[in-house]
Amino acid sequence: MSKKPELRGRAARLAQLLPAAPSQAARTPFVLLVVLLLGGGLITLLLLNSSLNEGSFQLTKLKKETQELTDEEQALQKDVDKYAAPDALQRRARELGMVPGGDPAFLGPDGKVRGVPGAAQGAAVRPSAARQPAVLPPLLASPAFPAPPPGVTSAFPSPSASASASTSARQPVTPSPQPPATGSPSAAAGPSAPASAAAGGAPRPPVSAERPTPTTPGR
Amino acid sequence: MVSLGLTLVMLAFVVRLLQVQAVDADVYAAKAEKNRYSSHKLAAERGAITDRSGVELATSVDAYDITADPSLFTRKETKTGDAPEQAAALLAPIIDKDTDEIAEKLRTPKSRFTLLARRATPQVWKQIKDLRTALADKASADPGAVNVLGGVFAVPTSKRVYPNDGLAAGILGWVNADGKGGGGVEQQLNKELAGKQGEIRYAQSGGLRVPTAGSTEKPAVPGSDVELTIDRDIQWAAEDAITEQVEKSRADRGYVLVQDTRTGEILAMANAPGFDPNDISQARGTSLGNAALQDAFEPGSTAKIMSMAAVLEENAATPGTRVTVPNRLHRGDRLFQDDIDHPTWYLTLNGVLAKSSNIGTILATGELGETQKQANESLYSYLRKFGIGKKTGLGFPGETSGILAPPAKWSTSQQFTIPFGQGVSINAMQAASVYSTIANGGVRVEPTLVRGTKGPDGRFTPAPAPKKTRVVSDRTARTVAQMLESVVDDEQGTGTKARIPGYRVAGKTGTANRVDPKTGRYHGYTSSFAGFAPADKPRVTVYCVIQNATEGSYFGGQICGPIYKKVMQFALKTLQVPPTGKAPARLPVTFSPGKPETPGRPANGR
Repeated sequence: MSKKPELRGRAARLAQLLPAAPSQAARTPFVLLVVLLLGGGLITLLLLNSSLNEGSFQLTKLKKETQELTDEEQALQKDVDKYAAPDALQRRARELGMVPGGDPAFLGPDGKVRGVPGAAQGAAVRPSAARQPAVLPPLLASPAFPAPPPGVTSAFPSPSASASASTSARQPVTPSPQPPATGSPSAAAGPSAPASAAAGGAPRPPVSAERPTPTTPGR
Repeated sequence: MVSLGLTLVMLAFVVRLLQVQAVDADVYAAKAEKNRYSSHKLAAERGAITDRSGVELATSVDAYDITADPSLFTRKETKTGDAPEQAAALLAPIIDKDTDEIAEKLRTPKSRFTLLARRATPQVWKQIKDLRTALADKASADPGAVNVLGGVFAVPTSKRVYPNDGLAAGILGWVNADGKGGGGVEQQLNKELAGKQGEIRYAQSGGLRVPTAGSTEKPAVPGSDVELTIDRDIQWAAEDAITEQVEKSRADRGYVLVQDTRTGEILAMANAPGFDPNDISQARGTSLGNAALQDAFEPGSTAKIMSMAAVLEENAATPGTRVTVPNRLHRGDRLFQDDIDHPTWYLTLNGVLAKSSNIGTILATGELGETQKQANESLYSYLRKFGIGKKTGLGFPGETSGILAPPAKWSTSQQFTIPFGQGVSINAMQAASVYSTIANGGVRVEPTLVRGTKGPDGRFTPAPAPKKTRVVSDRTARTVAQMLESVVDDEQGTGTKARIPGYRVAGKTGTANRVDPKTGRYHGYTSSFAGFAPADKPRVTVYCVIQNATEGSYFGGQICGPIYKKVMQFALKTLQVPPTGKAPARLPVTFSPGKPETPGRPANGR
């Protein structure tokens, strides 16, 4: 058993600083690490790029979708506007047998009638009402839309549609549910005007709307 | 030798390198930049125009200009001689144009651009796109087939639409091909409506955007929405009524104005005939514009209300003052008459207005001053205060201020015709404003057409408050309103057709000699009716004019009275104005010459 010569003191401390042996094993993990880092970086960059591209595709797709939906919305809005235009409303109202309300009359909360209520006048479709051919599909022409109760409506202020169906009931009721596109006078007597409307006209306050108007020549 | 040659070549390379990299570096960098970056203008969405309740009267939608590259339709490109015809046959039914016309456009030689359809709907472009894709698929499957629509493209743009077609067209105006307002509110408020164009700049390669490269985008600022004082329903009722009557009377044109008497807001301003701003090309030049503000005409008897207000305000007479009206009156160089021959009438001042006597009005306004000159100056000052001869304050493009000469320049006959509304020109808005002034207790509120604007941030900015000026005293205004009631209410009045049972209605008829714009001489008539209701608590003024009625009656009370009634009924219902329920004033119209007079001083002619 030979004994290794013991270094002592200063020499021993210095000897500790010397590399024990040239290390081969430590190099492999380092190279691996560098390759991994490089490779990882590349792959990350690739993923990043492809996800960016994917996002770009998605953006284009969504933009296209938005555009299509906007177009659709605008087209639908156009249809809605066509229905809501006052001209179209008047035409529809007349087809349902309504006529302009005439003199305004108000029913107060105390039950007092202010103004002079009377039967609505004028049942024929005027040429102005038929300025455009009726292009609207008969969505509203169902019996689900009854004519307004006669006599009562004219006592309330209701814009654009305050009309009484009582006058139309005096006319022969046209059986055709589809009004002619040109708006002939018979279209005024709506198919949905109830035949009993004439009886409903009775309890109206007895004010004559057809009082003679003086014919002083105007200046 | 070789080395010398090599040295020269090397030298040439070095020089060129220096030139590229150092001397001209900026130029090349800029060139590269130009190719690499592409910038596009971003169109700002034009603001909408709405009525007082927010219903859209004008709005913008997406549209496409359908274009084509004629160089892609040649025999060389398509290997067929009739590619333009084939394409035209496919496109014609979609874009609703003539086949030959399209084919001719596609045959334009040496051109790379032609416009096939302007502002087509997205649906139209989608149809074309689908058709093009189908053809392309077919072409790739079958080498013999060609895609004849390969040269058709679209440029996105926007289109101005007016959902109610011709409704309020005169007020709204239109937008020209450049997207700028060409008339009406579109022109007046073009700056607010247009917004600000934006810009986007990005790196591109082969026309495609490079996602990783940076881009700068300055977004477009959409235009503000403009809210008008117009009520769509009342506007429609007014247009419907006037259009019908103008057709019936075979008149040149007509206008109806509806104004809120308290706020001065215009509720309706209807013109007939009108036009459809969706299709300006079909409009007649004469009906384009807003005649209610752009026509100057002699108002006739409706202007008598100003003379009456002046006479009452100056305490020259009272409504009961007696006026003996002869059949003819000699003044200046003319012999004046009323519209009908009559025995001597014994009228009160109220009766002069009710029966619309020209002679009576001349006699009454003569009392405005000691001399005729003073009377003229006094009347002129009132006319000016009522807003005659001045712009109404709307700021509307093309608005006329009418013609009112200063009194020093009044001709001999003008001195006596201006009191009853001839020899002075106004626009319809000015006339309506006069009646609103009387209705509003003598305070003139400048008319307004725009309530305010709503910016892209959704904040509403109300329009500046209208100017208010007192013209006549409250007492005078109330008296004039009572006198106007007699016009409609009294059996002898000229405006009986305008009665609305249950309501106290104030009104005045007018039938004026009309100046023919072609000859500059009197020819035909201007029929009008103006008034407000309820007379004792006014809310709405309605003014109706029909120019040159050629069939049937031309009297203002006969043809405009019913329109006034119809529009007033509708406005009262829409605004929910109940009748006041008070008894009408019923001022006396005539007097018995035998009985002594009690109040006022006589206003008989000298």
